[in-house]
Amino acid sequence: MSTLLTYVAISDGKIKRSSLEVLSHCKSIADAGGMACEAVIIDENATSYTDDVQKYGASKIYTVEGDAFKQHQNGSLLKALTKVNEVAQPSLIAFASTEGTKDVLGALAAQLKAGVVADVSSFNFDGTKVTAQRPMMAAKIMGNVNVTGNPVLVSVRSGSYDLKENPATAEVVSVDVTVESGDLRATLREIISATGDTIDLNEAEAIVAAGRGVKDEEAKALISELASVLNAGIGASRALTESGVYDPSLQIGQTGKVVSPQLYIAVGISGAIQHTAGMANSKVIVAINKDADAPIFEIADYGIVGDLYKILPTFIEEIKKIKN
Amino acid sequence: MKFIVSIKMVPDVYAPFQIKDGELLMDGDRTVLNAYDASAVEEALVLTEKHGGDVEVVCIGSAKASETIRKALAMGAAKGYHIQTNGDETYDSSSYAQILASFLSDKEYDILSFGKQSQDTDSGLTGGMVAQLLNLPYATNAVGLEIEDNKLVVKRQGDSGQEMIELPTPCLVTCSNDMNEPRIPNLKGIMASKRKPVESLSVSDLGVDATALEAVSKVTSYEPVPARAAGKKFEGEPEEIAREVAQLLDTEANVL
Ligand SMILES: Cc1cc2nc3c(=O)[nH]c(=O)nc-3n(C[C@H](O)[C@H](O)[C@H](O)COP(=O)(O)OP(=O)(O)OC[C@H]3O[C@@H](n4cnc5c(N)ncnc54)[C@H](O)[C@@H]3O)c2cc1C
Ligand SMILES: Nc1ncnc2c1ncn2[C@@H]1O[C@H](COP(=O)(O)O)[C@@H](O)[C@H]1O
Repeated sequence: MSTLLTYVAISDGKIKRSSLEVLSHCKSIADAGGMACEAVIIDENATSYTDDVQKYGASKIYTVEGDAFKQHQNGSLLKALTKVNEVAQPSLIAFASTEGTKDVLGALAAQLKAGVVADVSSFNFDGTKVTAQRPMMAAKIMGNVNVTGNPVLVSVRSGSYDLKENPATAEVVSVDVTVESGDLRATLREIISATGDTIDLNEAEAIVAAGRGVKDEEAKALISELASVLNAGIGASRALTESGVYDPSLQIGQTGKVVSPQLYIAVGISGAIQHTAGMANSKVIVAINKDADAPIFEIADYGIVGDLYKILPTFIEEIKKIKN
Repeated sequence: MKFIVSIKMVPDVYAPFQIKDGELLMDGDRTVLNAYDASAVEEALVLTEKHGGDVEVVCIGSAKASETIRKALAMGAAKGYHIQTNGDETYDSSSYAQILASFLSDKEYDILSFGKQSQDTDSGLTGGMVAQLLNLPYATNAVGLEIEDNKLVVKRQGDSGQEMIELPTPCLVTCSNDMNEPRIPNLKGIMASKRKPVESLSVSDLGVDATALEAVSKVTSYEPVPARAAGKKFEGEPEEIAREVAQLLDTEANVL
């Protein structure tokens, strides 16, 4: 029987929702095709997450624990995934497309001599072959892709699938992986964490994104207030991460993060293809821009033509009223 | 430090295109140096200007890719390697990685520098594959590079913060375009590039098994991205339209 193995990523002590989206989808594929749906957790406290993971239908959960997995390091993650692949012998390994995944996917494919396709927006698996769709050319075009291999590695854009609970009782299998200094070679000196905003953009229901139009502290304060009223994450265009106005972790787009919240409010963003590549799949898009011809209006459901300094105060007040 | 930067010629994403019966039709003449690779070249130049050393580039591509190599030489790289293809092969990241690994296996270098992804496909796989094939320590998605005591210090953009990673040489790094603004070659650079050496090789020169190069990931067809339903545009008195849209987000879009 073929096995689909989903790598469930843990970040800052939480299961990444995007990996549960992938697990939910793998469970449907497995059920439809008579295959097994399994999961792997690699973290300092991997076992503490098994209860939450089995709710999404994994029949077996591999756990790899130890100090070496406290922080993301490609050397330890590669070693652990290689070992789990040996034990589980899956036909397919599915990942959420996080920066952690992107850091190891190519190397893992070379190591396992696996087939691989990155950043798909949908996929299916018939036991031997993956068929997938992935955005290409700065997300202007969809490519239909076939991938074979044993196993095949697939990474999936966040928001591509809905969470679907499917409670099962999973067998938990602990896999021993010792990471020696020779495995790592690279030294992680420190992690400079993003300051302030703690809402993970990949998981946010709403995002307020600021662009070059957000010029000063006054405008930044309006962005923060709108985000707080909506309980939204704050994102930014490259114009503002590059100039240091917002933390680089908040960049949305081709180079930055790909997001698909229920509500995306683009404030003072022109809508360059490299930006829209990262947000065009949001459910409802609102754009606030003083240039009536800005390309962002082509994809906005609600386009407000106007100066953000004049629009935002009333917009925020009105949302506050509605929320109360 | 000796850098070899792996650069790719990619179609210009701004060029007009058509999709006909699943096939992508584009003006094949409109190609550019992959933006991420341009940043990798720029950073290698900055670091060697500061610490000494030199920068070479390698590119696998059709005859036209010689323009891409010239561009990097005009920026300041000292030498180019052109691994020529016919341009009609169905190569994927894994094919390119195998060719590059075999090319690099007898080269001397301290740092191999890659783009974090190709601008046209966004695959982001080749760098990690080459690192594994050559058994090199590596870091991806670099937004800053420094050299300290013969080590490469990489600032990498991770999921929730930036990781400072120290790599012994030889090593491999993949670069984000968030790390710098690549220089635009000036006339002097362009003239000088014409005298710089470009070594031409073929895939068979490298002794790579051609059957192993067959892509495992194949694009079978293209389709347009489903269009979003036409939205509404609000123009007029700022307070009025701000209020109106807020109301609609509640009553029509149901997202508040
Ligand atoms: C390979 C590559 C990758 C890239 N990756 C990314 C990426 O990941 N993310 C990203 O964002 N960009 C990316 N870019 C850059 C992208 O091409 C654009 O340069 C960038 O998105 C522009 O940001 P912006 O819209 O904020 O600025 P601009 O294009 O300068 O737009 C500013 C907008 O603000 C409006 N404005 C100004 N003042 C006001 C006001 N008072 N009220 C209302 N509106 C106002 C203006 O009308 C204008 O439309 C990438 C580029 C390349 C080449
Ligand atoms: N044909 C090629 N020639 C040289 N370098 C390449 C080629 N293809 C990919 N690369 C390198 O690999 C990086 C990532 O490629 P990809 O896996 O296609 O996203 C690019 O930014 C280049 O540095």
